[in-house]
Order: sequence, then C-alpha cells, then structure tokens
Amino acid sequence: MAIAVSIVIHRNSFLEFFSTGLYLIAMPAKHIFLLLITQLLCVANAVADEYILQRQQMIAEIEDDVEITSKYLKKQSFDASVMQAMQEVPRHEFVPPGRRTEAYENRPLPIGHGQTISQPYIVALMTDLLAPEPGQSVLEIGTGSGYQAAVLSKLVARVYSIEIIEPLGEVTSGLFKKLGYNNIETRIADGYDGWPQHAPFDSIVVTAAISHIPPPLVKQLKKGGRMVIPVGTQFQTQYLTLVQKDMQGKVTSRQILPVYFVPFTGGH
Amino acid sequence: MFQLAGNRSATPPLVSIFILSAAALAYEVLLIRLFSIIHWHHFAFMVISIALLGYGASGSFITVFRHRMLNNFDSVFIINTVFFGLSAIACFIAVQQLPFNALEILWDSSQWQRLLLSYLLLTLPFFFVANAIALTLMRYHNKISLVYGVDLIGAGIGAILVMLLLQYFTPVTIIRVLAISGITAGIFAFHNLAGVNRKLFATLLLLSMLAVYLTPHKWLDLRPSEYKGLTQTLQMKEASLLYSHSSPVSQTDVVQSPFIPFRNAPGMSLQSEAKTPEQLAVFRDGGEMTTIDHVTDISALEYHDFLSSALPYHLHDSAEKLLILSSATGAAILQADYHELPQIDAVEPDEQLSLLITERFAEYFGWHRIKHKVEIHTIAPRGFAASDNDYDLVVMGPSGASAGGSAGVYALSTSYDYTVEALQSYLELLADDGLLSITMWTSTPERGNLKLFTTAVAAMNNTGISEPQNNIAWIRSWNTATLILKKTALTAEQIKRVREFSLSRSFDLAWLPGITPNDVNQFQLLQEPVFYLAARSVLQQQSPVPEYNFIEQYKFDIRPTTDNRPYFNNFFMWSSFDEFLAMPGQAGISMIGVGYPTLLFTLVQASMAAVVLILLPLLLLRSVKVKTEIKREAGKRKNIVIYFMAIGLAFLFIEIAFIQKFTLILSQPLYAVAVALCAFLIFSGCGSLYVQRLMETAESSVIPDLIRRSVILIAVIVILYITVLPSLSSTIMALPETVRIISAFIMAAPLAFVMGMPFPLGMAVLQQNHPHLMPWAWGINGCASVLSAVLAVLLAMEIGFSGIMLCAVILYLIAWRSNRM
Repeated sequence: MAIAVSIVIHRNSFLEFFSTGLYLIAMPAKHIFLLLITQLLCVANAVADEYILQRQQMIAEIEDDVEITSKYLKKQSFDASVMQAMQEVPRHEFVPPGRRTEAYENRPLPIGHGQTISQPYIVALMTDLLAPEPGQSVLEIGTGSGYQAAVLSKLVARVYSIEIIEPLGEVTSGLFKKLGYNNIETRIADGYDGWPQHAPFDSIVVTAAISHIPPPLVKQLKKGGRMVIPVGTQFQTQYLTLVQKDMQGKVTSRQILPVYFVPFTGGH
Repeated sequence: MFQLAGNRSATPPLVSIFILSAAALAYEVLLIRLFSIIHWHHFAFMVISIALLGYGASGSFITVFRHRMLNNFDSVFIINTVFFGLSAIACFIAVQQLPFNALEILWDSSQWQRLLLSYLLLTLPFFFVANAIALTLMRYHNKISLVYGVDLIGAGIGAILVMLLLQYFTPVTIIRVLAISGITAGIFAFHNLAGVNRKLFATLLLLSMLAVYLTPHKWLDLRPSEYKGLTQTLQMKEASLLYSHSSPVSQTDVVQSPFIPFRNAPGMSLQSEAKTPEQLAVFRDGGEMTTIDHVTDISALEYHDFLSSALPYHLHDSAEKLLILSSATGAAILQADYHELPQIDAVEPDEQLSLLITERFAEYFGWHRIKHKVEIHTIAPRGFAASDNDYDLVVMGPSGASAGGSAGVYALSTSYDYTVEALQSYLELLADDGLLSITMWTSTPERGNLKLFTTAVAAMNNTGISEPQNNIAWIRSWNTATLILKKTALTAEQIKRVREFSLSRSFDLAWLPGITPNDVNQFQLLQEPVFYLAARSVLQQQSPVPEYNFIEQYKFDIRPTTDNRPYFNNFFMWSSFDEFLAMPGQAGISMIGVGYPTLLFTLVQASMAAVVLILLPLLLLRSVKVKTEIKREAGKRKNIVIYFMAIGLAFLFIEIAFIQKFTLILSQPLYAVAVALCAFLIFSGCGSLYVQRLMETAESSVIPDLIRRSVILIAVIVILYITVLPSLSSTIMALPETVRIISAFIMAAPLAFVMGMPFPLGMAVLQQNHPHLMPWAWGINGCASVLSAVLAVLLAMEIGFSGIMLCAVILYLIAWRSNRM
C-alpha cells in the first residue's frame, strides 16, 4: 500500500510542488515543520521505489545472463528461492553512499579498503551453487560488504561470517544490526581456521585470496557439503571453484566458468 | 630572418640544454618506476608516449607562436626551464590526487577520463623542456647539430644518473632533485638576460627553488593502488611493515602479520595434515608476493612435500646436485633441503630478495643451518644457463602472482625465462638422467601452462629428442601444475611413482607415458580436461596421422614463445576478439585482460593527439599569412611529413628492439632500458655533433648525399644485427655483468652514431628552404615517436623483434626517398 501511495505522489510531484509553494505562504510554522517531514518521507519513498525498480531490472539481467550461459551452467535458471532473496536484499545499503546510483548495475563496485562488492550475477551464481536450504548453517570467509551474507541469511538458518579487516568488519556488523539481519554472526579473525565452535557447516563461501584450499575448512564441511571459492582478481568476471565433500568424505573440486567458453569448436 | 631583441648571445645555452635533457630523461625513467609501484608496469608504455607527446605538442605550439617566443628567447627559455621544474613536481602531485583505478577501467568509463587527464598532466613537464630545446634549435639555427648533439648526450647521461640516484635515494626524493635541476638549468642561462629582466627573473628562480624545496614531503608520498597486495595486506589487523628497500629495479617490502598469519603453500594437497610455519610476506613493487618461512627445525617444512612442485624429488633416488632457477625468497631452497639434497645452487637476478634470506632475515629463515650447502648466484636464469654443468635436478617456480590473480597486467611484459631457447638451455644443464621441473600457477581458462607445454615440446624437438611423449610427466593441483622434462625416457619405476605421488595427494595427471583418458580429471575437475587434450594433441602432431590441431583451435595464443617474440604472458588473439566481445557483461574483456586494451587505448590516444598536433599548426598557419607559401609547396610539405614521420618511427623501433635484446643480455629490464637509452642517445648525439663538423666545412649541397649515405648505412648495420644478434647474445649472456654492460654499449654505438644523423640533416635542409617549418617538423618527429613506442610493442607481439627491425629498415629507405624537401 505504501508503495502504491508513493508511486502516485511521485507521478504528481510537479503538481504537488506547485500547490505546496502556494500553501506555504500562509502556513503557520508548526505546519511547515510537519509538511517538511511529510515531504522528506515522500522523497524517501520515491527513492525506495526507484531502488525496487532497479532491483527488478537487476534480476532481469541476471536471468538473461543465466539464459545465455545455461548450456554451460547446465541449468535454465537459478533456484527460485535464490532469486527471491536477491530480490529482497537492498543491495544499495551495502555499497558506499556515493556509489548508490550504480548499486544495481551488474558489475562489481569498490567499497573502500581495497575491497569490492561482487557482481550481482556472481553472488547469485555462488548462492545457487551452495544449494542453500532452510535450517542450514553457512560459514563465510571474507565478510566484505556483507551483501553475500545478507542474501544467504534469507535462505538458511544461520550465517557465520569472518572478516580480516577490522574497520570493514565493524562497519558491516553494524549494518547487519541496523537492517535487522539477526541470523548473521560476525567476527574479526583468521578465516583459515574456520569457526570450530559452530562447525560443521552445510556450506562454506571463501571470498579471500588463498594459495591453497585450507584443510581446516574442508574438515569443518559436513559430508555432502559444498564450498565455493571465487578465483581471479576483483573487477574481473570471476571464475569459481566448487569443492564438494561426498557422503564418504571424498573431496573433489570442480571449476565453474560463469561465461560461455568453447575451447575446441574453432570457428565462431 | 627573425627580428631578435635583447642582447644576442653567440653561443647557445649548452649547459642548460644538457641539464634539462638529462633531467627530462631521468624524469621519464622515474615515472616508469613510480607507475610500477603505484599501479602496474604496463603503464610504462604510456609514460614513454607521454614524454614524446610533450615534444610533439611543443613543436606545434612553437610553430604558431615562434615569432613572439624567439623575440624574447632568453626570457622564454628561462621560463620554460622553471616551468619544467615546477610542473615536474606539481603534475605528479596532481596525478596522485586523481582517484584513478586501473582495474576498474573495464567497467567504468570515467576511469578512462581520469587516465586521459593523468596522461595530459604528465605531458606538461616534457612540453616545457621541449619548448626550451626546440627554441634553442631555431635561435641557433647554424648550430643545430651542436644543440641537438648536446641534447642527446645530456639525455644519455640522465639515463645513467637516474639509475645511480635510484640506488641511493627513494623515487620521491629524486623527483625533487630533478625539479631543482630544471630550475638550475634556468640559472645557467641567466647571464644572457638583459638588464631590466634580471631582477624579475632572479626573484622568479629563487621563489621556484624555494617552492620545490618547501613542498611538504607528505604531498609527494606514494599512494599505491588500494587493490595491490601490499596495500591490502597492511590493512589486516596487526599487520605491519618490517623492512623496505628501494632499488633501481624494484621496491621490496617485508610485512609481518601475527594476528592473521600468512599461509603461502601454492596448491597444497587437500590430503595434507601439515601446518605451514610462521611466514613473512615479501612484496615486489607492492604487488607480487612471496614468503619467507620461519624455520626452527626441518619438521616445519613438511608442507613442502605436499606441493605439486615436490614431484621431482620423488623421481630421482640418487639426486645430489640441484639447481634452482629464480630462488626468490628461498621457498624452493627449503623444499630441496627438506628432501635432503646435499648440494644446492640457486640463481636469483634480484639481489635484494637473496639478501633478505642470507642477511637481514637470515636467522628467521635459518640460513646458518643450510648455508654450507647452498650457493646463491645473482644472475638471471638464462645467464647462468649459459655455463656448463651436470645437474640431477633443475627446478623452477612457481613465482610471483598467480596467473589467475594478475588480471592480465603482465601481458605486455617480456620474459626470457620461458622461451624455447631458454628451456633448451635448461635441458642442456641436466645430467643424462636428470630432470627439469617447472611449476606454474594455473589460470582459468587455462593459458600459461598450455603455452609452457607447447614451448617445452618445441625445445625438446630442437634438442633432438625424437619422442618427447616418453620423456614428459605433467601433473596439476588445485591451482598449480608441475611439468617434468627428461632428456631420456622416463623409466617404468618413475612412471609408477608419478602415479603414486599424484594419487596420494589428490593431484591430477595431465600427461604421463601410457596415460589414458580415464586417468585424467579425477580430483580437480575442469569443465574439459584441457591439459590432457592439449598434451595429447601437441604430442600427436608429430605422429604420421595427427588429430586436430589444438594450438590453432584454442581461443588463446598458446604457441611456443621464442626469444624473438618473448611475450609469454600475452594470450590474446584477434581471431577470438569477436567471441570475447559477444560474451555477457564484461566477461569477454576480462578474458582479454587489461594489459592489451590499455596499450590499444594508448595507441588510439596517441594517434589522435598526433593527428591534431600535426594538422592544427597547419590550419592555424593558414590564418597567419604563410598560406600561399604553404600551398605552393604542397608536394614538399608531404615529403616533410613522410621524412620526419619515418625517421621518428624507425628510431624508436630500433631502440625498442635493442631494449629487448639488452633485457636478455643484461637480465634486468630497467637496466636494459637505461643502457639502451643511454647508449642510443649518447652515440646519436655524437653522430649529430659529427654532422655539425661536416656542415661547418662542407657545402650545403652535399646534404642529400649525406642523408642517402647515412640511411643506407643504417639499413646495412640493422640487417647485419638481425643475423648475428641471436648468437652474439648467447655468448655475451655468460659474461660478468660489467662486461655485459660494456658489450651492450659497444653493440649499440655504431648504429646509434649513424642514426643520430638523419634528423639534423633533415633539419638543415629545412633551415635552408623553409625555416618556418622547422618546429613543425620537430613536432611531427615527436608525434611519430609517440606512435612508435606503442606500435613497436603491438607489432613485436605479432612479428617479433627482428620483424620490427626490418620495418625500421623499410622506414629509413622511405625517408631516403622523401628527402627532397
């Protein structure tokens, strides 16, 4: 309902502005104050409305990308619950204020401290690869902007997230509280050792640069669990490694290229 | 000709010209260093073209304002020296203020604008220097060759001086020194000034000097990209810088991080229970990271046995002599020590890295425990490879940044460590049953390792190994691959051990004698088993019925690298361009990497600037009276463009080809740049001075004949070099460093001497026929050089350095045909 109202206000903004101007001349001070508050709320609603539209556009773009790469990903679309989570999480809250207008573009963005918020398509792909289910617990190494954890938090019971840059970790942790993501627990620590107190995990996301897959993390992964590791530099379309631990405890890794790439067909 | 005001000095301000040229060239070399530290090294090419663009712009500027400037020559000269000094420091500060992010360039169009702005800002100091020099050339038109000669020699000395300065001072301190040098050049020209201006200019010089001196150090502090490894590492909780050292070659920083320990173990097996010891991280130019292990006892090194690079130690029971190529901060030395090798030779070209483990952090590294059996040689792998030996094992890599993590920034860098010739020389170091082992980071999609494989097979073929498929083992971990080459066939026992080693560590087989498709892609699943497919295809090409040609079908350039085309890290192929562009989002551009697009962008930028700078003065001149004269001489004008364009392009083509040859001989790219620049500039300067002497005694009618002779001589010498350089280089490589540097100078001398002649000779023709077009020609030559610096690299990737030298010969011949100006 609030959305519907704000859309109407948005459309009639010119008329409203004009009439408000006339009205102001004769208004007592306290009414001006009330009016200002109302105006601010309207602006906020209009912006929020704009973000919803942008988010829908982002979802459409992700769906297009999945379709283009479907042959390679071996699926026509990501899980509906994953797309729903992507639709719900306000990505603009996780980017620096100066970059909010670009928040829903399908690209990575700088978030300060030499870190980036990943491309939405990659976040969706990583989340989909983890095959999250309600009731699961997920470990994330590298909280960063917090966006990935926020998306996961909509899909699983608990998300444990570890960050190594203290100021970044503190800001993100505050953001989770502010936005009400109460099922995300964060800490500043060495991600290599995982979080033994909460182990084992159904899945693990590693977004830090690593020279090898940390054995403690493999240990903390449940049998049948999945670990996703993006490879490649920030600002590049990243490739992913999916580490799987089967029910016998055998561990294999699989390379996932989020682009359609055919090495052997020659002509194009 | 010109009405010159003020007291007319008979001698040009040669001391000032010398200082200015030296300072400008030193500034250019310095910018290359600074850009490597702040961003990545591929901006080096941009720096070279920035400098030359400044020269081009100056030519156009003077063409338009020459009367006014020449009338006040002495004042204008000093003003330009002062402006050089001030802008050298101010423009650098301004560029650092721009929030330019080289990595975001693929996503954000405003980054291109910032790059362009940096480009233009840094052009300014060179513009002012060029103004001063070009005006002097015009003012003292009867001494063109003398001025030009001093300019070149000054620049040559500048190249050496900056290397010496970089040995003792930080790059930031040197910027200040160079700015002061520029102003000092103004002081040396001060005595030519007429009375009224003297006080004013004395104040100006003094104030400028003060301004440079008082610039707060903080403003000049380097601000490396926040996406570089060092910057990011220092943000980790409790991480701190332990040690920093700046050398002409690189900036080395050592970092400790007790709260979040470094755990560098490239591609360690998932089956490993071994813990990595405490480590220090070492960064080169704030980017590439290696680590120093803290070794308390040998058990701390167990993890080294779970890396794919440990394979050779499991294949040779009686190995005694080992050679490590590029030992960096000693990881491979410790791996060999863990496997109880009694004699370890290591080569590492960067002495700073070796000194870290043998002196500064010797105790941490446990150097005293192993120093009795380890000897580290400061030389490039190729240089060491040139002397004879019988090693049981020769091992190499992995080094530097992982290929997956480099974003293609190294695409433009040349590497002589992984060429066909290099691998051949490594194979020659082996005893008959010795093993050569090369470990490399993997990438996605795979590129580097496949190129290494094709290069290795080509090297084996050249060495006369007829059935390389029996002599190769190749395995891969999650993110590294290790290639084993043997001069003779692998034994059944060795084949069995490769299988056992890989199986026990969950490493995948990529090639092994007797391998089947069922053996591959077991643990680290690739979408397609490209390692195996590439190996099978490449090895079967030699069979009577080859299957499809993998190398030609692949989307990346994985053809063998040679010394003539040593771009190991460039995988871009134009034939895949359309397909990459059609990929969703920016994925395709990520495939191309940032190096190549940056180079292309620089070329486009430079071409546009060149066209504008060459045409603009012509358009402006039309409005300034000379219209009829210009029109009348349309044909000759065309010749002027062709002549100065051709010699500008050709000069840099040859110089850049020599920089590459010298990189191989001298083993350090920056030394190669400095020595090549220095040799070419000094000897060209001498060539120009020689022209000056000739002109003083000879008739001006001999000029066309001199041009013809010099150009033909250049062509002959270049062709001679193309033939003999490869064999000459391999002989020189094995000599001591000083001898190698002297040899490089001697090699460059005769060619550079003759190459210094066409420009002043052409100018002399113009001086006789169209003096007003002299600065325009100077500008054309400058613009040609801008294009040349970038074009040379793009061409070298396709046709190699010999090809570029041949192009230069053709260009010189074209110049000769157009000498009727």
